[in-house]
Amino acid sequence: MISIIKRQKISFSIESSAAYFLAFLWVLPLIYALWAAFHPAEYATRFELFAPLTLSNFATAWEQAPFARYFLNTFLLVTSILLVQFVLCTLAAYSFARFEFPGKSIAFGLVLIQLMIMPEVLIVENYTTMSNLGLVDSILAIGLPYMASAFGIFLLRQTFKTIPHELEDAAKIEGCSLWQILWKVYVPLARPTYVAFGLVSISYHWNNFLWPLVITNSVTTRPLTVGLAIFGAPESGVDWSIITAGTLLAVAPLLVAFLLFQRQFVQSFMHAGIK
Amino acid sequence: MSAIELQSISKIWGATTAVDNVSFSIDQGTFAVLLGPSGCGKSTSLRMISGLEEISQGKLIIDGKDMTTASPAERHLSMVFQNYALFPHLNVEENILFGLKVRKTPRHLQNERLSKVAQQVGLEQLLDRKPAQLSGGQRQRVALARAIIAENPICLMDEPLSNLDAKLRHIMRVEIRALQQRLGMTVIYVTHDQAEAMSMADKVILMCNGKVEQEGTPEELYNKPATTFAAAFIGTPPMNLIDPIACNLGKTMPQNGQDEFLIGIRPEDITLSDTKGLKAELVSADYLGADTVVTARINDQEILVRTPGKVTIAEPVSTRLQWHEEAVHIFDKSTGKRNDKVKVQSF
Repeated sequence: MISIIKRQKISFSIESSAAYFLAFLWVLPLIYALWAAFHPAEYATRFELFAPLTLSNFATAWEQAPFARYFLNTFLLVTSILLVQFVLCTLAAYSFARFEFPGKSIAFGLVLIQLMIMPEVLIVENYTTMSNLGLVDSILAIGLPYMASAFGIFLLRQTFKTIPHELEDAAKIEGCSLWQILWKVYVPLARPTYVAFGLVSISYHWNNFLWPLVITNSVTTRPLTVGLAIFGAPESGVDWSIITAGTLLAVAPLLVAFLLFQRQFVQSFMHAGIK
Repeated sequence: MSAIELQSISKIWGATTAVDNVSFSIDQGTFAVLLGPSGCGKSTSLRMISGLEEISQGKLIIDGKDMTTASPAERHLSMVFQNYALFPHLNVEENILFGLKVRKTPRHLQNERLSKVAQQVGLEQLLDRKPAQLSGGQRQRVALARAIIAENPICLMDEPLSNLDAKLRHIMRVEIRALQQRLGMTVIYVTHDQAEAMSMADKVILMCNGKVEQEGTPEELYNKPATTFAAAFIGTPPMNLIDPIACNLGKTMPQNGQDEFLIGIRPEDITLSDTKGLKAELVSADYLGADTVVTARINDQEILVRTPGKVTIAEPVSTRLQWHEEAVHIFDKSTGKRNDKVKVQSF
């Protein structure tokens, strides 16, 4: 008995120290960014505990590049993608979950195939499509390929399928139309899934880089990630303090939001079954 | 006038016929129970009346109008579901008002009716709770409140008490019946529990294998079962169906065709005697509190006897069974149908 408990204790402590180690590795770049951003340039690569603190790096970064515009672009991009995804995925998931129609399993198979294709593979094809549509260098062009999210459809379909039929029957008896059933029964009951999917979508598109880099070429359309990359490109001179300050500016909203809503995030992920 | 009339209604899924040519009518203000074993088509019939299930064949008349293909909302009825079907994201008040809100009933009317209904079912204190915070009986009350607030003349109930414990089930049985009578609703109530049917119903419709086996008042079903199925389904313990020849009762039967009949006797109509009657052997006893159900055996036929008080049987004892001729029901062996033309003689 005692030896089992002991062994469990040992394995637990090994596991947790491994976790601490990994967490430290992951957080290291962020710690460095914090260090460099809040100190003058001469302290960027050496550590001195009482080095003077400064906010001037942030001011310089903010002035040197149109970060305000980039923020706006990213914000527009992320919200428009999320809103359209919610609408499209809800409708598609509802029909996959609750309706019988010819070709349903083939259509759902196609959706699942989309889940297995890396979006980067499609960059050239997507670029051709966007240029045919005349949308190159617009915020809509960055978002359009991602709006019918297979992941969202799949996730919501699974959630809708777990909602008891009796609730739908009860709503029908009370006189709800199909739209009302969707809006008053399915959507509210799938809220944790919407939150979880929303988080995944926002963080993915906030951080997405390659596709926006390809499809945009002006300040008015560039999202933060692309703007930051241009800002930090070697040809514009490498000043670590200012680059890290710009990076912190870019990740701050997500970081703050995550720290504030950490508990709800984790809970809704548990609810939605995504880990 | 009948509130609801089913005319030769069938439900067919591919090769299986779940409901087969069912016809019955239910008068206004009647508490009707659709009774039968699981899989007999009673729930499907109810769902066809509600409009949640399409009617494959036949005609449904509600309040004098053909409603065969009408949508559930057009039929103006309420429904209580087996698992209550409360919306987990809404509190009690929102659950009860759900239908009124969908139909855009004016706000002051909603409040008026809510307070009335909440009082009727005893939920005034719980209006802001979520369903998850309620006990089974309270959830049942919310489901009832949601059904009656619509003030529809017809209410359908699909095994509403099957998830409650025995004591609560009894209380709710009385409450539902009282509510139905006070509001003058027409209720169609589906259950597999014959005791529930007997105690609540004005009219029982007994179903088996998708067909109506017998319809009538609880007394009719109990006193004059139309078939051997009805005889065996109604009553606890069920009616004894015995082969007269195997039980040495051949001489009580008409001379011609003694082997064409089964005789049915309810356990409560048989008395045990030491001196007179049919020789039998008592083999076991089931003590139920007020009385005991004793299993008697004649040759290889088992006969249940209900006898007052406590009886213990350690080892088989011989005894004699007695009953009145009036207590005997005769059924045709081949069809299972009741036969009132044949009379038995006393033994």
